[in-house]
Amino acid sequence: MRASRFMILLYVCMVGIPVLLLIYAFSYLFSQLFIERLVLAIIAFGLILYGILSFVDVYARKKGVNPHEVQIKLRFLERKKIEEGAPSLGKEGEKVVNLKIKRFNPDKKGLEESSYKMFADSLTTVLDMLLGVKASKDSTLAMRYSCRMGICGSCGMVVNGKPVLACETNVFKNLEKDEISVEPMQGHALLRDLVTDFDDFFEKHSSIKPGLYRVDEKEKYEPTKPYYQSKAELDKFLPYSYCIMCGLCVDACPVSNTNKDFLGPQALSQVYRYNADSRDQKGLRRIFDVDTLDGVWGCEFAGACSEVCPKGVDPATAIQLLKAELSKNLLKED
Amino acid sequence: MEILNHDIIILGSGLAGMTSAIHASRKSGNRLEIAIISKLHAMRSHSVAAEGGISGVLYPEYNKDSFDLHAYDTIKGSDYLADQDAVEILVENAPKEIIFYDHLGVPWNREEGGRVAQRPFGGMSIPRTAFAADKTGFFMMRSLYDEILSMNNIHIYHEHFTTSLLSKSGKFIGVVAIDLSTGNARLFRGKACIIATGGASRAYKFTTTSHASTGDGTALAYRSGFNLKDMEFVQFHPTALVPSGILITEAARGEGGYLYNSEGKRFMERYAKSKMELAPRDIISKAIITEIKEGRGLLHEESKLRYINLDMRHLDPKKIDERLPMIKDITIKMLGIDPAKDPIPVRPAAHFTMGGIDTDKKGRMSMGNGNESVGFWAVGEAGCVSVHGANRLGSNSLSQCSVWGRIVGEDVADYALKENSLSDGGVVREAEIEEARIAKMLDSNGKNNPYEIKEELTSTMDELVYVYRTTDGLRSALKKISELKNSFADIHLDDKGKIFNTNLRDVLELENILDIAHVITEAALNRTESRGAHSMVEFPKRDDKNWLKHTILSKGDTSDNITYLPVTITRWQPEERKY
Repeated sequence: MRASRFMILLYVCMVGIPVLLLIYAFSYLFSQLFIERLVLAIIAFGLILYGILSFVDVYARKKGVNPHEVQIKLRFLERKKIEEGAPSLGKEGEKVVNLKIKRFNPDKKGLEESSYKMFADSLTTVLDMLLGVKASKDSTLAMRYSCRMGICGSCGMVVNGKPVLACETNVFKNLEKDEISVEPMQGHALLRDLVTDFDDFFEKHSSIKPGLYRVDEKEKYEPTKPYYQSKAELDKFLPYSYCIMCGLCVDACPVSNTNKDFLGPQALSQVYRYNADSRDQKGLRRIFDVDTLDGVWGCEFAGACSEVCPKGVDPATAIQLLKAELSKNLLKED
Repeated sequence: MEILNHDIIILGSGLAGMTSAIHASRKSGNRLEIAIISKLHAMRSHSVAAEGGISGVLYPEYNKDSFDLHAYDTIKGSDYLADQDAVEILVENAPKEIIFYDHLGVPWNREEGGRVAQRPFGGMSIPRTAFAADKTGFFMMRSLYDEILSMNNIHIYHEHFTTSLLSKSGKFIGVVAIDLSTGNARLFRGKACIIATGGASRAYKFTTTSHASTGDGTALAYRSGFNLKDMEFVQFHPTALVPSGILITEAARGEGGYLYNSEGKRFMERYAKSKMELAPRDIISKAIITEIKEGRGLLHEESKLRYINLDMRHLDPKKIDERLPMIKDITIKMLGIDPAKDPIPVRPAAHFTMGGIDTDKKGRMSMGNGNESVGFWAVGEAGCVSVHGANRLGSNSLSQCSVWGRIVGEDVADYALKENSLSDGGVVREAEIEEARIAKMLDSNGKNNPYEIKEELTSTMDELVYVYRTTDGLRSALKKISELKNSFADIHLDDKGKIFNTNLRDVLELENILDIAHVITEAALNRTESRGAHSMVEFPKRDDKNWLKHTILSKGDTSDNITYLPVTITRWQPEERKY
C-alpha cells in the first residue's frame, strides 16, 4: 500500500509539475481565472488521492497484518538497481558480489570465463546467485540443480577451488575480497558450462551391482515380514548409505583423475555399504568382484574423497575396510 | 528423428514411477521392455526430499493399531473428500510396502529388539509412521534405483524432457521427449504410458518442493483433454523454513517440537486443543496464518516474511541427532541456527498437490467430453485416486506412491502383455509436428523475459491462491494468469544452443505451470465452501449438502468444462471435524 501511495506522489511530481509549467507557458491563450482553477483542481485531486490511500493504509493496518507484506516484485527491481551500481548498497549486510563463472564451451571445447555483479545478503547461496544470473543476466547459463536442500545431488561444482554442492554453500562465508569463483567439476567429462557428463560415473556405480541381494525372491517382492536387524547392525552400514551420487568425491580423487578405469570412491563405498548390511546375502562375491587393480587396490588412500563428501560418507575408510576384508579372506584361503 | 520402441513408457522417476517399473517388470516375468523417462538424473527426483516417513499398520498386536483406525484417521484428515474404498486399499497394502523397502535395503530406524520404529505424525491417532531418520524418501529412492539397475529390461533415460503425449483415436502410441544432452527430439513408441511426474507446487514461489516439481505430466494430460480432479486442493505445509521454503519435517513436531507465536504462546491450543502441534496440516497452516494476520507473527529481517517459531530446544539433543539429522544440518548450513539451541523460523508453503490426473482405482486415466482413451495410467502425486481428499495426512503420500506403484505396474503389465504390437498409424508424422513446435519455440525472439513471467506468476499464486482465499482474490489471480499467458506468447528465448539448453527447459516448465496455476485457481473459484486445504473467507463452513463431491475439470475448445463425481462413502459417514 505504501508503495502505491509513493507512486501517486511520484506521479504528481513527475507528471503534474511539467504539465503545470506547460500550461503556464501557454497561459496567454487562456484567461487567468481558468488557469488558476485548473491548477487548484489538479493539486486537489492529488491531495484527495493521497488522503484516501493513507486512510486505506491505516485501516488495513488496524485490521491486521498482511501476511504477504513482502513486495517481491519491488525487491527484484531493487536488487537489479543495486547490482547496476546505484550509489547506496541498500541495507547493512547486503553486498554486490563479483561472481566469476568458468563455463565450458562445447563448440570450442574449452573453458571461458564470464563475470557478473550480483546482489547477495547473508543468507544467499551460490545456487541462488546462479539462478539470479539465469533469470536476469544471462539465461544461457547451463547448470544442474533441483532440490536446493542438499539431498538430490544435482549441483556439485567447484567453488573457490573446492568441490561442493552449490545449494548449501553460503556466499558470504566463501567470499574472497567480495569475489567468488565457480567452475565445473573437471574430474568428469564436461558437457556445457557447469554441466558435466555423468555417464561414466553411473556406469561404474551400476557395474558393482548395487542393491540388496536375497536368495528368496518371492519374499523379496511379495514381502510378508521385515528382516531382523539390530541397532548395532544398522550402524555398521548406515553412514555409507548417505551417498547422494553427486560425484564430488570422484572429482576430488587424484587416482580417478589420472586413471579413467579406476572404479572410484563412490562405487567402492557402495560395495562396502551393501556388503556391510546384515540383510544382504551375496556374501563375499560382492567384494571379490572389486579385488582388482582398478578396484580397491587402485585406491592410494589420499583421503580427498572423504574430505569433500557433503553428506559425511567416508569412502576412504570404506575402501580400506574392503581391503582388510579381502586380506582376511585371502589368509583364510591360504 | 530417432525412434525408440518399448512396451511401457513411464514418465517420471520418483517413488511412483520406479515402483511401477519394478512391479510391471516382475509381473511380466521381466519380459516387457520398460522405459523410464526422467527430466533429471533418475535418482534425483523430488521423492528424495521426503523426510518424515511412511505410514502403515505394522504391529497391530503390539500397539493396538488397526486398518480401520488408519482408514478413519485418513478419511477424517481428508475432510471426508477421500474415496473410502481407495483409502481401504491404501491402509491394507501399506504395511506390505514398508516391508518391501526393508527387503530392498532401506535402513529403517529400529527399536531395541530389531522392530521397525514408528513415530507420531499429524492427524494419526497412533505412532504408525516408519522412518529412516529424516531422509526416508531419499533412502527409498536410492534402494529403488539400485534395484532397477539389476533389471535389464528396464531402460532409464536420464535428462529427457517429455513435451507431448501421442495417441490415435484415444489409444496411446508414444511420447516425444527432448534429450537435454543433445537437444534432439526422440520418439518413444509404446503400448502403454504411466504418468508419474509428481506434483506441481512450483506454481508457487514459496514452496517446499524442488525446482523440478512443475507438474509436467499433469499439464500434458490437461492439454491432451484428460480429466483432472480436485485441483483446488493444494496442501500448504505449516513448517517451511524462512526464507527459502525448505521443508522442516512434520516429524520435528512428531518428536515433540512446539510452535510459538511472538507472544511466546503455544497458540495451537486455540485451534486444536487435543492434538496441538500434531493436528492435520490444513488446520495448523490456517492457525499460523491467522496468528500472523492478527499481528502475533514475527518479522524476518532479511526477507520481510512473517513467521512463527518452531521450537525443539526442550528435546534431547541426542534425539535430534539420531532422528532429525538433516533438519539440523540444513538449519545450520542455511541460517546458522542449531535447533537444539535456537527456535526455527517457519511459515506455511505450498507442498503437495492433493488433486491431479483423475484415475480409477487401478490408476487408469479418463478423458473429458465423453471421449474414450486406452493405454494411459497416472500414479503418485500426479494422479488422484483419491485417497487424500481435501487434505493429506503426513506420511500417507509415500504409502500411496508405493501401494499404487504396485497396483498400476501390475495392471499395465497385464494390458501390455495382451496388446500384440506397437501401433503404427501416423505416429512419426505427429512426432515431427511436435518437433517443429519445439523448434519454433526455440526460435522465440519476443519482448518478454520468461523468468519475469515466472516470478509474477508464482508471486500471484503465493498472494492470492494461498491458505485463505477470497472470491475477489481468485478472480484477479485468474485475470493475472491469463495476462501472463498472453505475455508468454511473446517471450524471448536467448539460448539457441542444442547441448543442455536449460533455457528451453525452463520455458517448457513455465508453459506447464501456467496451465496448472490456471486450473488450480479456476477450480478454487468454483468451489464455494471451505473444506480441508481449501478455505474461502466468504464461505467458512464445509457444505456437505452441495459440495461432498469431486471437481472434474477438463480442457474444452474455448473454456474448461467442470463436472462432478460423487465421493465414495463406505463405512464412515461425514461428521464434524474436530481435533
